[in-house]
Amino acid sequence: MDFFLDLLQGFATLARPDVLAYMVLGFVIGTFFGAVPGLTSVLAIALLLPITYSMDVVPSLVMCAAIFMSGMYAGSITATTINIPGAPSSMMTAIEGYALMKKGEGANALGHAALGSMIGGSLGALLLMALMPLAAKASLLIQTPGKFALVLFALVVIVIVQRGAVAKGVVATMLGVMIATIGIDVMQPIPRFNFGTEMLVEGIDMMPIIIGTFAISEVLYQAYHNRDDIHLSLSKAASVTIRRRDFLPPLGQIRQIGLFTYLKSSLLGYGIGILPGVGGSMAAFVAYADAKRRSERPDEYGHGSREGIAAAEAANNSMCGGAFVPMLMFGIPGDPTTAIVLGVLVINGLQPGPRLLETQADLIAPMLASLFISALVLIPLTLFLLGPWFVRIVSIPKGLLYACIAVVALVGSFVATFSIFQMGLALLFGILAFFLRQQNYPTVSLLLGFILGPDLEQYLRRSLSLSDGNPMVFLTSPDSLFFLALMAMFLYFMVIRRPKEI
Amino acid sequence: MAVQQQRWRSRLLLPVFLFLLTTIYVAATFQITPQFSEGFVGPRFLPLLAALLMYAALAHIIWRDLASDETSETGSFLQPVAVVLATAVYIAVFKPLGYSLATLLYVFFLFHIFHYQQGRPARRLLYAVAVTAVFYGLFALVFGIRLPTLLDVI
Repeated sequence: MDFFLDLLQGFATLARPDVLAYMVLGFVIGTFFGAVPGLTSVLAIALLLPITYSMDVVPSLVMCAAIFMSGMYAGSITATTINIPGAPSSMMTAIEGYALMKKGEGANALGHAALGSMIGGSLGALLLMALMPLAAKASLLIQTPGKFALVLFALVVIVIVQRGAVAKGVVATMLGVMIATIGIDVMQPIPRFNFGTEMLVEGIDMMPIIIGTFAISEVLYQAYHNRDDIHLSLSKAASVTIRRRDFLPPLGQIRQIGLFTYLKSSLLGYGIGILPGVGGSMAAFVAYADAKRRSERPDEYGHGSREGIAAAEAANNSMCGGAFVPMLMFGIPGDPTTAIVLGVLVINGLQPGPRLLETQADLIAPMLASLFISALVLIPLTLFLLGPWFVRIVSIPKGLLYACIAVVALVGSFVATFSIFQMGLALLFGILAFFLRQQNYPTVSLLLGFILGPDLEQYLRRSLSLSDGNPMVFLTSPDSLFFLALMAMFLYFMVIRRPKEI
Repeated sequence: MAVQQQRWRSRLLLPVFLFLLTTIYVAATFQITPQFSEGFVGPRFLPLLAALLMYAALAHIIWRDLASDETSETGSFLQPVAVVLATAVYIAVFKPLGYSLATLLYVFFLFHIFHYQQGRPARRLLYAVAVTAVFYGLFALVFGIRLPTLLDVI
């Protein structure tokens, strides 16, 4: 009951002009980053991370939630208009949306994408708020061996979702784990891997890794590709006239899609969001495949199916709510964006876990409210207000854009700690992430390995020291056994009996 | 044939580099001296396990790359190298030159790398000044952060 009162208080906090302004600003930033091909909401939050050192925690979290939701939705803009998904999670929307665009129904496709995102995002946020107290109670039941098994399960899922590139997933994840072991040991007061330097004794901060992996590497990657084709397509699409009234999907089309599609896709997205490291792309893919499988008009798929757009967009936005569950309850991020939000929490001295709801619900509640309002109000409002100019807004020259990103990333990493060393580290990780990306290694796994590595080690060693070194504790403890069985099930279905491609 | 061989070699560079990095890491693992014994699973356990998994995955990648004819993404390394060099210089001069001058030069150089406002040096400079000023406003004025200055002036 207390938590629901805190939630109401969270909505009231959101009505404060300064907090509201941060939410709207976050939404606009997220829309921009989500819509520009090559930029993602992850990059937007990564650039925001150092700035949060100088901000209050509530506006920071509110802004992060708005960026997350809008970034997930905005990927559909360029996916529909120029067939280049602004975010990877809009891949399915590109297939159907661009087909509609070619038929001259681009505005209608954008409207369906916004409606699907609005329904999915709102339901995901509502489910998050409603189930959070239950999740907190359930998480209290998990003991140290169970926590180890849960983190291990998370790491295994992160690796096996890299379909066709599991070995590269292992490399990136282990690289993250190895970087995380630099500094003071998790159980004993001894430095590890500092190579005789004092600077590495305290370990490596999350911030240069995030800035390097997502911002610097992006600048290098764009310099490597130098893709002028995107801007040619953007300028071509910008010449198409889009009227506001065309955004509104006719009721007949919404009925044809059906409430069940919206609800099922949202639930699928939420459930997939809870799984660590899976993210919006998988949510959209699974919901799209499911909608196609049980569709009455499967032949429309690939040629402009509105049902396909609705399913994919509802699922990827609903994923936002699900991704917050493991992050807030266990400190296990459901996707890269929540991994960076975790960084914002840690910077501000908030410790994820079941006690978070008891002691700091007043700080968390506005963020959850922001997630809901962003989906329910700001997605349709943004489409209505900015829709006709979306393509022109995202047609910003690449040179100007990447110069700005480089400056924010580097100056941001300096102002966070006033350390030139941190700037250097950001560059170093940026170079590493660039080469990893260039050879198709999943850089997100590097970040998740870095975050989860210390927890894995700590819970493993604690469990063993509590059981006098007996490894059977992981099989005799019911919570641990549950997660190990879950892991075995995932391994069976994802690796041994691989799901079919669409 | 020669081009294909070069691409094949360049694909192997990263796994080989990571292989060497892991070897240095393993060597450093043996220098960890625990303060008290925790049995088999002590401060060295996870690093060694991570290195072992890394070796196995890298061996798999190298083996597969040797057998495959796949070509990796193509692009020019010249621009990323120029960005890295410019960034390294920017980091080195950030404190001595101060935010304003260092950022202005850095942004101007990035514009050059990305061919922004090509053939219009005056407009390029103007945009570089604008970007420098906008982010000065954001960091110093909006968030009140003290940025490094040249001779306590700019």
